[in-house]
Amino acid sequence: MADRRRINGPPGATMAPVFEDDAGQPEIKNGKGRDRAPNVIRKTFLKTGVTPSASGSAYLEFEGSSKSGVSGLKLSCTVHGPRSLPRSSPFSPHIVLSAHVKYAPFATKQRRGYLRDPSERDLGTHLETALRGAIIADRWPKSGVDIIISIIEGDQDRETSKSQGDETWDMMNVLSGCITVASAALADAGIDCVDTVAGGVAALVQDAGEDSTPRIVVDPIPSDHEKVLGACCVAYLPTRDEVTNLWFKGDLPASDAGLYTQLVENGIQASRNANRVLVECLGEATS
Amino acid sequence: MTTSNPTLAIPGQLLGSTSKYQPGPGTHIHNHNVHASLMGTVHIAQPAKAPGPVKRLTKITPAPAPAELPTISVTVPTRSAGSDHTGQKKREVLPEVGNVVLCRVIRITPRQAVVAILVCGDTVLDAEWQGLIRVQDVRATEKDRVKIYESFRPGDIVRAEVISLGDQANYYLSTARNELGVILATSEAGNAMHPVSWKEYRDSETGLTELRKVAKPY
Repeated sequence: MADRRRINGPPGATMAPVFEDDAGQPEIKNGKGRDRAPNVIRKTFLKTGVTPSASGSAYLEFEGSSKSGVSGLKLSCTVHGPRSLPRSSPFSPHIVLSAHVKYAPFATKQRRGYLRDPSERDLGTHLETALRGAIIADRWPKSGVDIIISIIEGDQDRETSKSQGDETWDMMNVLSGCITVASAALADAGIDCVDTVAGGVAALVQDAGEDSTPRIVVDPIPSDHEKVLGACCVAYLPTRDEVTNLWFKGDLPASDAGLYTQLVENGIQASRNANRVLVECLGEATS
Repeated sequence: MTTSNPTLAIPGQLLGSTSKYQPGPGTHIHNHNVHASLMGTVHIAQPAKAPGPVKRLTKITPAPAPAELPTISVTVPTRSAGSDHTGQKKREVLPEVGNVVLCRVIRITPRQAVVAILVCGDTVLDAEWQGLIRVQDVRATEKDRVKIYESFRPGDIVRAEVISLGDQANYYLSTARNELGVILATSEAGNAMHPVSWKEYRDSETGLTELRKVAKPY
């Protein structure tokens, strides 16, 4: 008894395709490891002026690595402003900064929702803190500036290492990319900044093997290593030698007291490297 | 007032020491050095030379004041009112105290006229800033006998000067000078009008006059 009033699907039951599980494949993590020196960051592409309708914009890419199985990071940032604040907001003698970070639903392995979740709000707060230290706020009274970052591809690998299930280490890389791209977009928008901020990540990792000691690497890919003990993301102003934001996560062994400052130092070094890319990109944009 | 060879600057770049340059727009001072705040081209403006001492045989003239330092500034090309839009990078400008702005009257009440600021100096604004012309700022003379209905009407284009940053929603503007006031008005019949005196506009078609606070055209 066919239903002729509607467009029907195929008669009979259908089944969704089932793909073979990857777990059957041999462990390909052994012998892979990190292919860069400990203080070398990944290749970065940065370009400003990609969104003509916004006051300022920038696009950033960290290269992916098929050897480690990482897809790479792709960020797009737009800056709107300085524009007038809504009528209801109180008078502010300096600029009101608001930063929004959003993952695209297809950006990560686990599909994300359309509304902002707490981890994205957290990234937004860190980004705002990092940029607030760099903007000269009192040149723009009664104004607001909106920074909106869309993460088109999160820095995740196709098969997370067995020992870690969460993706918080990826967020560190994402935050450092967000800081760098937002700084480029702010310079593109013509908002007075004290200096160019760039983000850098340093991590204390332990590789597979019985006698491997933990070492500090910069711009880590979590799946390259057996275990990530701790990581820190630093937003640094090179001309003033100031840190505007520091985000530290992890469990450091209590035996070595200087490890904390060592990790921050390496984070600053990574930030300096990222700043070189930023300076070159802005130099190209002005000429 | 000449500009020397332009170099490019990005935020944070060291431009010079405060003993050699004065900071201009687009720069800031840190540790006795002038650094750039914007991404753009560097311009150095030489100060006007003070006239040297006049030679007089019987009078002792004081030594000339030390020459002013040249001003260094970083500028971003702005989209001005008359230029074309071929990929010109625009930059938002904020109305400052003392700027002459063009605005359109939105609403009038017996005590003030609410306006929307459209052009600040030479730059067409992107953001919608609202301004207020209070009844005591319309004219310089006879301030207590001003009637807003006889000075502005909704839809007029007014040239005004910013006198204060105001509160959260409004800038405070003033038209209390001869060259400030209504520059473009439409009559009640809907026709364009031309000015006849400091307080009258005449409709070109019907010949009827309407009262406005007229800006001096020249």
